[in-house]
Amino acid sequence: MADIVRKQAVSVEGPSVRERLQAMDDSAVVTAFLGGEERAFSELVTRYQTRLLNFVYRTIGDREKAEDLVQEVFIRVYRHLHRFDRSKKFSTWVYTIASNLAKNELRNRSRNPLVLFQTVQKNFQDEDRPLQFEDTTSRPDDMYRKRHLREIVEESVAKLPEHHRNVFILRELEGKSYEEIAEITECNLGTVKSRLNRARNSFAEIIAPYVD
Amino acid sequence: MDCREFCDQHVAFVDDTLAGIELVRMQRHLAECESCAKHDAKIRRALLLFRNLPSIEPSADFSRRLEARIRDCHGEHLLVTTQRNLRRGAIAATLASAAMLGYIGTTLYHHTDAPRDIVMAPVVATIPEAELSPITTSTPAIVASVSAGLSIWPAALFAEQVPVHFAHSKLELTNYTR
Repeated sequence: MADIVRKQAVSVEGPSVRERLQAMDDSAVVTAFLGGEERAFSELVTRYQTRLLNFVYRTIGDREKAEDLVQEVFIRVYRHLHRFDRSKKFSTWVYTIASNLAKNELRNRSRNPLVLFQTVQKNFQDEDRPLQFEDTTSRPDDMYRKRHLREIVEESVAKLPEHHRNVFILRELEGKSYEEIAEITECNLGTVKSRLNRARNSFAEIIAPYVD
Repeated sequence: MDCREFCDQHVAFVDDTLAGIELVRMQRHLAECESCAKHDAKIRRALLLFRNLPSIEPSADFSRRLEARIRDCHGEHLLVTTQRNLRRGAIAATLASAAMLGYIGTTLYHHTDAPRDIVMAPVVATIPEAELSPITTSTPAIVASVSAGLSIWPAALFAEQVPVHFAHSKLELTNYTR
């Protein structure tokens, strides 16, 4: 009887806790998790998995590896959340972990000349691409043109030097402030602005012949 | 404003983080300089393309794989904690045993070295001096000497050794017996 009552209580409590977690900011969710609320971790995963996946994928150019790295990010967050300085932003911390893992991956890859960024991108099969990439209402020639353009953009980003690419993605894709980028990449503000300027100019130069 | 200054401030210009007066100067230069206007358009168009790249979504089994890894991680954490506690317990028990053995060893060592005859320290006992009551009156001594048939001087000495009230009671007793 007591079990039934408890189960009913849980089933009534479940959605409301989830809703409350959804309404909280990151800092409150982290506090809830550290207070023993395991569902708070799922909420953090839900909030960051897609953003981190896009960030890591744009940085390293390998979707499968990007998923593995994002999983590794969450494992590290799970293990070390009690050490996280709660006076700082959770998103900055989580992006720092992701950025470092991506950097390590690129470093390891550079030691192995057989795996290059462009090679990995070319190996990314069309079947692997999510369906929402293409607008199915478009005509086939439009779809082809869009896909071709996307490949060109991705290749152009891949041609940027790693430290420029990192800053460029954090700013243009993730919308991070200069201060946050400086913290994530462990550079000073001046360096961030200078790298961003160079990355924008280089990217525009690389892509210009294809779009003009 | 010259073209160099325009390029230096272009990042902030694109991100719309310039202060009002700087923004006006940049816009004015843009209207006057064709080369900088071209550069600005090129950058903005490239950024537009990049920002509109479609987002990719995690694969269907991403959450399942992550949950499994988190479970393993949790299990590992519990195992490590248990092992650490056991290790600490074992270390504490070893240290306690070592301390106990050391204590027993030390006790036994001192026990074998100890002499068989117990030599006690000499006991010095002192008797507190009796408080001498001064003779306030010669009358009880004289009375005592008369009643006991003693000469006055030993009776006086005796009277010095005993409390005065004793002399009085003796005297009274003597009086009653008579």
